Amino acid sequence: MAAGPWWRIGWRNLGRNRRRTILTATGLAFGYWAVVVIAGMADGIVADMVRTATGILSGQIQAHAPAYLPDRTLYETIGGNEGTDVPALLAAIEREPGVLGAAPRVYAGGLVSSGATTVGVLLVGADPAREDSVSRLTAALVEGHLPAPGTRELLIGSELARQLNVRVGTELVVVAPAADGSLANDLFTVAGLYRTGIAELDGSYAVGPLDAIQALLVLDPGRVHEIAIRIADPWTAPAIADSLGTRGVTPAGVPVAFRPWTTFRPELVDYANLSAGSMWIVVVIVFLMAIFGVANTLLMTTFERRREFALLLALGATPRGIVRAVLAEAAALGILSIVLGVVITVPVLIWWHYDPIDLGRLFGDFTMAGALVRPVLRTDYPVTMFFYAAGALLLTALLAALYPAFRATRVPPADTLAGR
Amino acid sequence: MQRLRLIVRLALRNVRRQARRSALTAAAMVVGLALLVMSRSLADGAHDEWIEAGVRLGSGHLAFQAPEFRARHAIEEHLSAADRAAVEAALADTVIAPHLKAVAPRLEITALASAAAAAVPVTVVGVDPAREPAFSEMDQRIVEGRYLEPHDHLQGFVGVELAQRLRLRLGDRLVLTAAGPDGAITDQLVRVVGTFRTAIPEVDQSLIHIPLATAQAWLGVDSGVTTIAVLLDASWNADRFTRRLQEALAPHADRIAVLSWRAASPELDAAVRMDDYGDYVFHGILFIIIALAIVNTVLMSVLYRTREFGVVRALGLRKRDTALLVLTEGLILTGISGLVGVLLGLAVTWGFFHDGFDLTAFMGDQMTAAGAVIDPVFIPQFRVVQLIQSAVSVAIVGLVASLYPAWRATRIDMAEAMKFEA
Amino acid sequence: MRHLCIAVLLALASPLHAQRTAREIVDHVDRLLRGNSSRGEITMEVVTAHWQRSMTLAVWSLGTEYALIRIDAPPKDAGTATLKSGTEIWNYLPRVDRVIKLPSSLMGQAWMGSHFTNDDLVKESRIIEDYEIAIGFDGMRDGVRVWEFVLTPKPEAAVIWGRITEEVRQDDMMPTWARYYDERGDLVREITFSEYQRMGGRLVPAVMTVVPTDKPNERTVIRYVRLAFDVGLEPSFFSLRRLRSGAE
Repeated sequence: MAAGPWWRIGWRNLGRNRRRTILTATGLAFGYWAVVVIAGMADGIVADMVRTATGILSGQIQAHAPAYLPDRTLYETIGGNEGTDVPALLAAIEREPGVLGAAPRVYAGGLVSSGATTVGVLLVGADPAREDSVSRLTAALVEGHLPAPGTRELLIGSELARQLNVRVGTELVVVAPAADGSLANDLFTVAGLYRTGIAELDGSYAVGPLDAIQALLVLDPGRVHEIAIRIADPWTAPAIADSLGTRGVTPAGVPVAFRPWTTFRPELVDYANLSAGSMWIVVVIVFLMAIFGVANTLLMTTFERRREFALLLALGATPRGIVRAVLAEAAALGILSIVLGVVITVPVLIWWHYDPIDLGRLFGDFTMAGALVRPVLRTDYPVTMFFYAAGALLLTALLAALYPAFRATRVPPADTLAGR
Repeated sequence: MQRLRLIVRLALRNVRRQARRSALTAAAMVVGLALLVMSRSLADGAHDEWIEAGVRLGSGHLAFQAPEFRARHAIEEHLSAADRAAVEAALADTVIAPHLKAVAPRLEITALASAAAAAVPVTVVGVDPAREPAFSEMDQRIVEGRYLEPHDHLQGFVGVELAQRLRLRLGDRLVLTAAGPDGAITDQLVRVVGTFRTAIPEVDQSLIHIPLATAQAWLGVDSGVTTIAVLLDASWNADRFTRRLQEALAPHADRIAVLSWRAASPELDAAVRMDDYGDYVFHGILFIIIALAIVNTVLMSVLYRTREFGVVRALGLRKRDTALLVLTEGLILTGISGLVGVLLGLAVTWGFFHDGFDLTAFMGDQMTAAGAVIDPVFIPQFRVVQLIQSAVSVAIVGLVASLYPAWRATRIDMAEAMKFEA
Repeated sequence: MRHLCIAVLLALASPLHAQRTAREIVDHVDRLLRGNSSRGEITMEVVTAHWQRSMTLAVWSLGTEYALIRIDAPPKDAGTATLKSGTEIWNYLPRVDRVIKLPSSLMGQAWMGSHFTNDDLVKESRIIEDYEIAIGFDGMRDGVRVWEFVLTPKPEAAVIWGRITEEVRQDDMMPTWARYYDERGDLVREITFSEYQRMGGRLVPAVMTVVPTDKPNERTVIRYVRLAFDVGLEPSFFSLRRLRSGAE
C-alpha cells in the first residue's frame, strides 16, 4: 500500500460503512448520469435537427454561380453559358476534408399537368446515385422507384400526387420555359412518390434525372445551377465553405459562390440557439438538484458522525488529521462515485446514440422550423459536460464533508460524547 | 386514541429536538419541490406561449369552417350569413363566452398579386379590421405604415418580402386576381397601407390582409367567410370547448365544422406533443433525482437512529407504535416540507421571472419554431392541478421513504441498540 | 347675336368636347388592331440577354373576349396553340398532344418567352373605363402634329400601372408610342409603333416593339404580315376542339 495513512483511513471508512457508501455513491453516480445524459440529449436533439433540416434537400453547403441568387434564373448556371466540367468540379469538392458527398442539380419553374389538373412546380434535375450521399430525398421514397438516368421519369411528392390525382405509372405533361426561349414540353412517367412530411416540399417539387431535365430545358450537360454538399459535422459548414471558396477548387475562370446552411437557413441557427438555451436551463436545474441531493446526504452523514470524530479526538488525533481523513474519505467517495457514474453513463450514451429512444410510435413525425423532425431522443457525446459534471460533483462531495467535519473538530470532545 | 396523541406528541418532539436532521431531510423535499414547481411552471408558460403564437398565425384555438374547406381550400366552401349567425349563437354559451379572447371572421383565398414590376401567387385574407388585431396581432408586426382600420376600403397590409419582390411602397397599387365561387376571374385593386414582418419566410413572402367587406364584394360572397377563428384565454380549454361547440352545432354539422387547433395545425400539435414528451422525460429524471435525494437523506438518518429506536422501545412503546411514530414523523416533515416547497417554488419563480424568463441572450429578439414566432421571453404559468400534482408526488416519495425506517424500527435488536456506540 | 351664342356654347362645351375626343381617340387606337373580328399572320421576334428567336404566328380574335394564337414556325414549336376565352387561358402542346388549362396563379408568367405575360393576353382592354384620359401635349414634335395623352387610373380601377402616356399623330390617328409607368413615375416598359401600312382595308402600325425598361437590351418585336378584319368569326369558333385541331 503506497498511499499515505489518511487515504488508507478514507478507504477503510468507506469499506466499513458499506451501506452508507453504497447509498451515497449511488446518489452521486445517478446525479452524474442524469446531468451527462440530459446534456447529451440536448446536444443530440439540436444536431439532429440541423442535420435533418439541411439533409432533406438543401445540403449543408451549396455552390452556385455568384449571380444565381436571389433570382434563381435559368441561365445563371455555374460557369455561365459555357458551363463547366461538372465531374471534375464534384471530384475537387469531394477531396475537401470533411465533405461527405456532392450532388449536381438543375432547377426550373414549370407546370405539371395530369390533364384535369395543372399545378405550378419547381422542376429539379438530379443525379439519383449522387443524391444518396447528399440528400434524403431518395430515402423519403414511399412508393415506386427512383427516376433512372436517361429516362423521362419523375419523382414527385405525395401531396403533389394527391393534388394531381395521379399514382406511380401515370403519365404527366411537363411544361417549362427552356433556355433557348422555347416552351419545353414533354411527357414524363411518375416513377415514384416521396414524402418528407413537409407540406411545401411534398407539394411543389418534381424531380427527374439530371440528363433528362437538362435535355428538356435545352441545357448542355455541363450546365448545372447548384452543387449541394453534405459534410460530417454541420457546425463546421462555414469553415469548409470558406475553405472551398478560397482554395479555388473550380476550374480557372469559373467563379463559384459557396454558402453554408447558417447563411441560407438563418432561422435554423435561431432554433438551434433556442434549443440550446432552454436545454441549458434544464441541465442547470438537474445539475443543481443533483448537487443538492449529494450535499444533503453527505452533510447528514458527517453531522451524524460527530461522535466518531470526538472519539478520534479524545484518542489523540489532531483536528487537522481528522479534517484530512474526512477529505480523503470524501475524495475517495467522489472518485468511486464518478467511476460508477461513468460506468453507468457511457453505455447508455452509446446505446442511445446508436439506438435512440424512438417517440415516433407515440407521436408520428412532425416538422419544426421547416425541418422534419423524427421524434427520437438521440444522445451526442457532451465531452465538456463529462468533465464539468465530474469536477462539480467531486467538489460538492469535498465541501459537503469538509464543513461539518471542520465544525466537529471545534467542539470539545467531551460535550459531543456526552450527547450535548 | 390516547396512544395516538402520545405518538403525535413524541413525533413532534423528535422532529423539533433533532432540528438539524429534520432540517436536512426537509430541505431535500423543499428544494426538490421548489425546483419542480419552478421548472414546470416555466415549461408550461413557454408551452402556452408557443401554442398561442402558433394559433394566432393559424386559425386560432378553435375554428369554424365549412366541412370541405380544409381539404379543398376553395372559396365556394364558405360559411353563409346564416351559418355565421349559428356560430355566434353557439359562442354566446355562458360556459364558453367568458373564455373568449378574440373572435375573427376571415375570408381566405389564393390569388395572383400583380404590380407594375411583377406578378406572384399570394394568399389573401379578408379580415375584420376591428376584430383582427386582437386575434393575429398583426398590428404589432408593422415594418412600415399602419394596420387596416375599420373604415378602410381599398387598403392592403402586405408581407414585407412580398412588397420587396413586387417593388411596392406605401400607397402603391396592387391588383389581386382570383376566381370567385362561380369560377369567374375577377380583379380587385388595393393600395399598400402597411407592411409587416412575422419572421416566417413563407408568410412574409405571400400574405396580404385586406378589409373583409372589400374581399366579400370582390369575390361576390355577400357576407360569407371561410373561417371564423377563435382565440381562447388558455390553450388547454380548446379540446373541451371544441366538443361542447360540436354538440351545440350538431344540427348544422353538414355546413359547419368545428376544428380545434390540434386538428387545424397538426404540425404544431405534433411539435407541442413532442415538447410535452421532452418535458415528461426531463421532469421524470428531475423527479427521480429528487426522490433519490429524499430517500437517501431519510435512509441515512435511519442508519444513525438505531440507538434512539432502542430507547423508545425500552420506554415501553410497542413495535407497532414505534413504526407509527417513525411514520408520523415522516408525515409531519413531509407535510411541512410540501407546503414550504410549493410556497418557495412559487415565490422564487414569481420573484425572479414575473417579467418573463428572458432567453433573448441565446437567440436574439425572436425566433420561429413550427411556424410560430416565439418571443423568447417566457412568462411562467401556475396551474393549481400542476402544483397539487408536484406536491402529492413529492409527499408520496417522502412517505414511502419513511416506510423503510418505520419497518426497521420494529426490527431493532434491543441489546445491540443500547450498547455504547462507537 | 346668334354667332355669339354659338361661340359661348362652344366655349362652354369645349373642355367636355376635348375630353370626349381624347377618350374617343384613345379608344379608337385601342381598337385599331382588333376590329370586331380579325385574322392575322404575325412574326414575333424575341430578344433576351440569353437567346433570340423568331416565330410565325397565326392569330384569330373576336372582340376582347376571344383569341386563338397558333405557332407555325419554327418547326420545333409548330402547332403549339393558345386559346383565350374570357378570363381563361388554355395551351395545346402538339408534341405531347395535350391541352392544359393555365392555373390563375401562373398568369404572371411570360407568354412563349416574350415580354408579354399571359395576364396581358387575358386582361380585357378596358382602357376607357379604367383610366381618366387627358391631353398632356398638343402640338408639333419632329415636324409632326401630335397629341400626347396621359392616362391616369381611376381611383378604384384594378390596373397595375400608375400612369400610361401615349403619343398619337393627329393627321392619321396613328399611335407612335405608349409608355407604362409604375406608381412612382418610373418607366417600366415602352411600346413603339412603326411601319404604318394599309392592311385589311385599314391603316395600321404593322410593327410593335416592346422594351422592358430594366432590360434595355431585350425586346419583343411583333410584325403583322397579313391582317384581315371583320372575318365573321363566331364565339363557337374559339373552342377547345379548334385549339387542338390547329384552327384550320
